[in-house]
Amino acid sequence: MPREAEISLNERAFIQQALQEDLRLDGRAFDAFRPLQLTFGDEYGVADVQLGKTRVIARVSVEVTTPPPERKFDGVFQIITEFSPMASPAFEIGRPTDAEVILSRILEKAIRRSNALDTESLCIIAGLKCFALRADVHIVDHDGGLIDASCIAVMAALQHFRRPDVIVEGERATVLSVREREPIPLSILHQPLCVTFSYFEDEDVFLVDANAAEEQVRQGEVIVTMNRHGEVCQIAKYGGATMDPLAILNCTNIALQKVRELSKFIQARLDEDAAKRNAGGLLAELSAENAR
Amino acid sequence: MSLPISIVLPGDKIPPDSLPKPQNKKKALTLGPGLRHIPPETIAASIAGALVTDNKKNAAWIEYNSGRYLPSTGDLIIATVHTSGGENFNCSITPNTPLAALPHLSFEGATRKTRPVLPPNSLVYTRILSASSAVAPELTCVDPSTGKSEGLGPLKGGMVFPISLGMARRLLAGRKGGVSVLEGLSEKMGFEVVVGRNGMLWVEAGSVKRTLAVGRAVQEVDEGGLGEKGQKKVVERVLKGI
Amino acid sequence: MAPEALLSPLHRADGSATYTHNRYSILGAVNGPIEVQRRDEMPEEATIEVNVRPAVGVGSPKERHLETLLHSTLRSIILVRSIPRTLVQITLQIRSLPEEDAMLGVNTSLLILPHLLHTALLALLFSSVPLRAIVTSVLVAIPFTKGAGPLLAPSAKELMRAKPFKSIHVFAFSGDRKMLLNESDGVFGFEEWDEACEMAEEVCCKEEGGVGLGEGMEVDGQSATENLEQWLREVVKSKVEREQRWRVAT
Repeated sequence: MPREAEISLNERAFIQQALQEDLRLDGRAFDAFRPLQLTFGDEYGVADVQLGKTRVIARVSVEVTTPPPERKFDGVFQIITEFSPMASPAFEIGRPTDAEVILSRILEKAIRRSNALDTESLCIIAGLKCFALRADVHIVDHDGGLIDASCIAVMAALQHFRRPDVIVEGERATVLSVREREPIPLSILHQPLCVTFSYFEDEDVFLVDANAAEEQVRQGEVIVTMNRHGEVCQIAKYGGATMDPLAILNCTNIALQKVRELSKFIQARLDEDAAKRNAGGLLAELSAENAR
Repeated sequence: MSLPISIVLPGDKIPPDSLPKPQNKKKALTLGPGLRHIPPETIAASIAGALVTDNKKNAAWIEYNSGRYLPSTGDLIIATVHTSGGENFNCSITPNTPLAALPHLSFEGATRKTRPVLPPNSLVYTRILSASSAVAPELTCVDPSTGKSEGLGPLKGGMVFPISLGMARRLLAGRKGGVSVLEGLSEKMGFEVVVGRNGMLWVEAGSVKRTLAVGRAVQEVDEGGLGEKGQKKVVERVLKGI
Repeated sequence: MAPEALLSPLHRADGSATYTHNRYSILGAVNGPIEVQRRDEMPEEATIEVNVRPAVGVGSPKERHLETLLHSTLRSIILVRSIPRTLVQITLQIRSLPEEDAMLGVNTSLLILPHLLHTALLALLFSSVPLRAIVTSVLVAIPFTKGAGPLLAPSAKELMRAKPFKSIHVFAFSGDRKMLLNESDGVFGFEEWDEACEMAEEVCCKEEGGVGLGEGMEVDGQSATENLEQWLREVVKSKVEREQRWRVAT
């Protein structure tokens, strides 16, 4: 079983020494994200996020299925994460690493269980037909900050996605193809985003968006998920280090500020993409939605 | 320096008139990385890149700067100690490749009683004693002829910076490599550097700030493909910041 | 339209490439030669692992089938004997497909096969794994409509217009004009196959000074694509130029 290479003692000592002198290797401030890039594919619902050297591709797709009997009025929504061997030979397909398990658990809590997506809107005919939405998250390049990048990718992909329209006549539902009718955006209730803080106990320092080297040196991490209205969706803490509760409160304050910036960034990119697609202003005329 | 670059793809046969023309007819033709001889007399490329020939040495090779470092005898590298076995330190040269053996006794002045203690994940500057596709590479920290370390040995402190394989070659090639950034910086500040052919640069300049400045300057020259003037600018900027 | 290639988009992998052609977009990465697991180790050869990841969902038998085809083709161009007891890991992530892909009513694994092969080759070239030769591949589709000639490396839109098809073929040739792969689907006679094969060979590895571009290669009134080998050479040239730019930089 191939293993991830460990960081050398020299690098570890150097990173710690640098932190004591208030320096990060790439010259960033302690609470700064790496440069973020977000691009959308030709299709709806594909978001490609590059956070420094980390790269995550999220893809949202939909199909029609029968809803589970215990949740007749809901659609199905699942998030599937996958570490590709592209990112590191240590990742094997079908054999999740601990990091992968944590990532999928956090995304589940942050996005699915915080009801970011209105699953009821995916219902077509109660108990008979519903949309099953899935978000595939592919980690293709790994330099730390996977949770934050994946969350951005999934949320951006969800907001970018358009599902096909349906016509319901009694018990019959017809799914209209993209050519027949303009597809409909998903009903998104709020936009949770994750901000991971890496904690260094000896230096008593919290870092935002640590890279892979910093992640290997850290003693603990706090993952704060919140939306831009300041509603905390979840807080998770991993690693053995003890932390001051006040410090965690401070983390949420920084997280709010970061989430606001990120939301604004995502929205700006979505608007740009929409403007590009709507080059001739045709979309407004074709829209099937009525302005209520 | 601008060379008429001739691009080859794997499988391309190298025509005889592209091979080096030695002044000394007796010298046998040497084929470097990326070229292979298919008997009786075909020479074909196996790697995509630029064909380079050296008439003086009667050698030809393919210049490329991507991919994984492949150990080759005589190369100086920065290895990471993985574990310590009975006789050897097991060292990793690149991630996810078989470990290389560095005998406990292959350090200057090392005896059974006074061998160095290297905990896992420490860095060692070593030479590759032997490397082949048949066995795992063997490393050494002494010159076999003199028994002296010649600067090889464990690296204490400092920081390593990943650089491209091409940059590592250039740094070791001296004037031909066209890297003047370190020379420029050394006029105003003192530091120690070690270049590993496996794409690692170790820097120790006394303080975190200075070490970072040197390492990042080299990385910047590497990533930007900077020429003489560009490097001068980097040097000026770095020196101003210190 | 020649395919577009973006070199080394990934930092971790030893070689990587993004390939876009006819709205098929694939990300390819190669790690190697790396340590191989004991159970996969071969005493005199390198082990090759090909992973094809679909855009949506996890792998299905279709991807397994593609992996097998790619594996046997790539194995014949990688110099496996020069790097024994190692692993060359090739991962291909499909990023997007043209929306028509599923609507053509033909074997969709054939449509994407040439693109996957090219992506894998690019990633291999940039990972500097020793290769015996290069491989170029092309799709030929023969429509049912009488009088309509075979379509050469058609886009999904062109296929949509010309469907249904009698047969579709994928050919792959090495740089020295040896056929490495042929997958055909549908009903066809030997003449048709032979014609398709010749057309494919022309596109893949026509030598310079042979039939000029556009001559005798006019398909459906559309001038044909440039020779794929030349395209590949251009891609490698841009890679070398990027690596060597310090020589000419001031």
